Amino acid sequence: MDMNEKPKVEEKVEEQKPQEVPEVEAPKLPDTKEGKLVAGMLERAPYAEGNVRRERRVEFKVPADRIKEFLELASEKFEMLLQISVVDWLKEGEFELVYQLWSVSETTHAFVRTRVPRENAKLPTVMDIWPVAETYEREAHEFFGIIFEGNPRLGPFILEPREYEKHPLRKDFNTLSYAKTIYGEDFDRYDESKTNYVI
Amino acid sequence: MANLEVPKELKTEAKAHDMYLHPIDKDTYELFFGPQHMATENFSIILKMDGNRIERAIVNPGFLHRGFEKLSEHRPYFSNIALILRICVPESDVPENIYSMAVDEIVGWEVPERAQWIRTVVLEMARMSAWMFWIMGFGNEIGLYTAGQWAAAYRERFMRLFEELTGGRVYHIYTVPGGVRRDIPGDRWLRQLRDTVEYLKGKMKDFDEILFDNYIMFERTEGVGVMDKRFALKHAVTGPNLRAVGVPYDVRKDDPYLFYPELEFEVPVLKEGDSLARVLVRRYEMEQDLYILEQLLDMGPPSGPHMVQDARLKALPRFKPPKGDAYAHVESTKGDFGVYVVSDGTHKPYRAHFRGPSQSHGVTVLEELLKGARLADVPVILKTLDNCPPDIDR
Repeated sequence: MDMNEKPKVEEKVEEQKPQEVPEVEAPKLPDTKEGKLVAGMLERAPYAEGNVRRERRVEFKVPADRIKEFLELASEKFEMLLQISVVDWLKEGEFELVYQLWSVSETTHAFVRTRVPRENAKLPTVMDIWPVAETYEREAHEFFGIIFEGNPRLGPFILEPREYEKHPLRKDFNTLSYAKTIYGEDFDRYDESKTNYVI
Repeated sequence: MANLEVPKELKTEAKAHDMYLHPIDKDTYELFFGPQHMATENFSIILKMDGNRIERAIVNPGFLHRGFEKLSEHRPYFSNIALILRICVPESDVPENIYSMAVDEIVGWEVPERAQWIRTVVLEMARMSAWMFWIMGFGNEIGLYTAGQWAAAYRERFMRLFEELTGGRVYHIYTVPGGVRRDIPGDRWLRQLRDTVEYLKGKMKDFDEILFDNYIMFERTEGVGVMDKRFALKHAVTGPNLRAVGVPYDVRKDDPYLFYPELEFEVPVLKEGDSLARVLVRRYEMEQDLYILEQLLDMGPPSGPHMVQDARLKALPRFKPPKGDAYAHVESTKGDFGVYVVSDGTHKPYRAHFRGPSQSHGVTVLEELLKGARLADVPVILKTLDNCPPDIDR
């Protein structure tokens, strides 16, 4: 597989070179195990950015439309998907998805970052690469409202049915007003003037 | 039989979620296992049974969702310690430690050696007391209650040591970013810890006789809930469950933290992948943990401060780390427990995402392993996977 694919990728790079040269400022990768790992990945995936954060921690940035392609490539080296973290960058209007991978053979942790717009966030599922992604995608869908195309079990998972479609971990979800609508007059423990609050 | 009328709306709603409220036919029926069942610890599984065999299992979490991740976005960095350690009760030091390690990395603090030594001791003590808690549950599930009662008594010794060290028995609020909250009480405490380790080393033989070498245990666990290597890796199973299928992955060896690079210990590996292998891996790990504690006590605590010397620590509520993010993980008794902390430069974390090890082996893996098992095997599979429901619900 590797022997057959490598020449193809090199050909593509040669074709695109005249366009990409001004953008790419030669990344300085250290001459370590991690540096070689990142360099090897970037050679096969020229659309991604990568760098080494520290010992046993590497980082990749991938555009959202090629994330699945990149993760399929990464799964050859990184056997485990540890978790999918979602960060809601409200001011920028974007969700950042961090696929955290662990390589048992190389003992290295990788962050694979991608950004999608907050409205109608859609991504392809990675269940076929790592079946455990089903759980993490269900969680990300429930708490943030991201749709993973191809995952059949997106629906109520941890939250109660009345909380479904509310996406409580988004930054613009107001926990206090939600609690007031649910508990009504029983909810009198909150001090509006905040005078009794230490912090 | 009484005429059980189910409202029409409930019926349609149940059908939409692939559930049936009536016996499907003469031998096939639906069984709700938990959350009240002792074995499940506030966790629920919907079983579709064919006689005594399970046809299909659907995991139904959400019975203790407490919203730690959202709450931690509303509290300052140091106040979060008292909150997040409640994620997994038997091993409450693990969330404290990973959170502190991640914040340390964001700020760029080098934790003093003495604090690192204390953190290592606390983590190993937490592992030992969590093993005792696990024996208690597992012994009860297969009907060997004496082992469980002994284990509960031995766990009490660790609880007392923790109480003297931290002031709390179960929730310690001890490890904080930059070090530990206070120093070791004195040499007497170290002597007591050594006594406890010696005592438990002797008691392991008793545990072998009553539980690990008992034919009841072999009868109940051999060949139950088998998984293979490829399946386990694809489902990101970690910890003793992964070591029971033949992958020697241990965070303490592969991504070393604190004092672990300086310690000598083995990572026990078996390859059968059934419940028996998972139980025996845990048995061997207990021995290794006692050995690690012994080595740490021989080494003795290094001299120096137990906290980073930083002026920012004087105004804790307004402590602001720089922008950045970090992932830290440690080896807990359940597996690879990690946290991803994002800082946006304010005094509260922008996001803290916890990776409970049960999140991987408590949902999809459990559903797969339960297929075709007997009803009586459900608690055995649950306990040998060591499923901790708060890892999933958080």
